[in-house]
Amino acid sequence: MSAHINVRDALYEAPGPKTKRAMYIGTALSLALVLLGLFAIIRQFYITGQLNSSQWSFFLRISTWNFLFAGMRGTFLVAICAGALSLILAFIMMLGRISKHRILRGISRVAIDFFRGVPSLLLVYFFFLVLPKYELRVGVFWMLCLPITLTASGVLAEVLRSGVQAVPKGQIEAAMSIGLTHGQVLRKIILPQAIRYVIPSLIAQFVIVVKDTTVAYVVSYPDLMQNARVLVTTYDALVSVYFVTAVIYILINYLINRASKALSRRMGLHS
Amino acid sequence: MSLSYLLETYGSLYKDALLTTWWMTLVSFALVMVVSTLITTLRVSPFKPLRLAADVYVQIFRNIPGISLLIFVVYALPYLKVILNYRVSVILVTVLIASAFGSEHFMSGINTIKIGEIEAARLIGLNFIQILRHLVIPQALRSAVLPMTNLFVGVMLTTALGSQVPLNPAELTGVVSYINTRDVGGILTFLISALGYVLTSVVISYLGNRLDKKVRILR
Repeated sequence: MSAHINVRDALYEAPGPKTKRAMYIGTALSLALVLLGLFAIIRQFYITGQLNSSQWSFFLRISTWNFLFAGMRGTFLVAICAGALSLILAFIMMLGRISKHRILRGISRVAIDFFRGVPSLLLVYFFFLVLPKYELRVGVFWMLCLPITLTASGVLAEVLRSGVQAVPKGQIEAAMSIGLTHGQVLRKIILPQAIRYVIPSLIAQFVIVVKDTTVAYVVSYPDLMQNARVLVTTYDALVSVYFVTAVIYILINYLINRASKALSRRMGLHS
Repeated sequence: MSLSYLLETYGSLYKDALLTTWWMTLVSFALVMVVSTLITTLRVSPFKPLRLAADVYVQIFRNIPGISLLIFVVYALPYLKVILNYRVSVILVTVLIASAFGSEHFMSGINTIKIGEIEAARLIGLNFIQILRHLVIPQALRSAVLPMTNLFVGVMLTTALGSQVPLNPAELTGVVSYINTRDVGGILTFLISALGYVLTSVVISYLGNRLDKKVRILR
C-alpha cells in the first residue's frame, strides 16, 4: 500500500477526529492567507493604475502577438542553434575527458571547468566588446549564439559523462574479454546506453539555453525580450508587457521540463 | 593593453569587483538557504493551499530567465510603488531564482528517504517532530550537499546580472564592460574576471566534494 504514496504524505498519520478538525481550520486559515497575499498583489496593480485598459487593450490586437511571436522565433532560432552546437562541443569535450591520453584529459577538464565556471554574460561581453578590439567581428546572431553554446557545453559535457559512468562496469569488462578494442567498446557498448540514459536531462538542460537567450538584451538581437522592449515604448506600457513576456518564458520552460519528466518516466528511468 | 598597465590602472577596481561578487554570492546563498528551507517546509506542510502556493512559487522561479526577472524588478516594480536599490534588486532576483532550485534539491533529498523508515519510526513511538528531527532533516541535508554546492556556484554566476544595472563598485562581469567601453581593453580584461569566477568555483566545488564525502549516506 505504501508504494503509492510519496514521502510528503507518508509523514502524516491517518488523522483522528480531533486532528481532522484542526486540519480543516488550518487549511481554511492558510487558504485565507494565500488569497490575501494574491489580493494584496492585485490591489497594488490596481491602485497604481496598472490594471487600466490602456495597459492591456493592445494585447487584443493581432499585430501585438505577431510581433511577440516574431521575437519568439528569434529566441528559438538562437536556442536551437546554440543547443545543437553545444551538444556537439560537449560530446567532443566529454570524449576528451574520458580518453586514455593524460594531456587530452587535462585539456578537456580545464575547458569544461572553465565554461561551467564563468557566467554567460561575461562570455557575451567577450564576443561583444573584447573581440572587436582585435578587429574580429561576428554578427549579432553569433555574438549571442556562441557564448550560450560555450556555457551550455561545459554543463552538457558533465551530463554526458554522468551517462557514461552509469553504464555498468561488468559490461565493459565482458566486452573487453570477448576481444573488442577500446574504441569498439566505446562505440558499441558505452555510448548507445550512455546517450539513452541522459536524453531526459539533456532536454531539461535545454531550459538553461532558452533562459540564456535573454542576454540578447545586451546585444540587441530581436528575440522575445528585445521585441518586448520595443512594445514597451510603442504602447507606453511597461509593467504589462514585461509581465506577459515573463509568463511566456515561464510557460515555455515549464513545458520543456514536463516533456523531459514525461520522457524519463516513459523510458523507465527514475526522474 | 599590458598586464602591468591594466593592474596599475584598474587593479583596485578588480579587487573591489571580486570582493563585490564574493559578498553578493555569500549574502545571496545564505538567504537562499533560509528561503528554500521555508519554501520546502510549506511544500511538506499538511495544508493544501500552502503546498500549492509553494509549488507554484517553485515552478515560476525555476523557469523564469534571470534577465527577465531583473528587468521586471528594476523597471516594473517602481511603477507598482516598490522601489529597491540596484544591489538589493540583483540580490533579490538571485535569491528568488536560486531558492526555487534549492527547494527542489531539498525535496529530492526528502524523497530519497524510504517510506518504510518513516513507518518504522512511527512504530517505535516517535512523534511527528521527532521523525522530522531524527530521520527526515538529517538525511535530506546530507544528500543535498552536492546539489547545494552546484547551486552555490550557480548563485555566483547569477550575480553577474549585476552587470546589467549600475553598481558601485561593479562586480566581476560589469568591470569588463566598464573597462572595454572606456579604454583599450582587450582579452586580459576578460581573462582576469574569468579567472576570478573559475578559481572561486573550483574552491567551492572542492570544499563541497570534501563535505559530501564526509556526510554522504552509503546505501
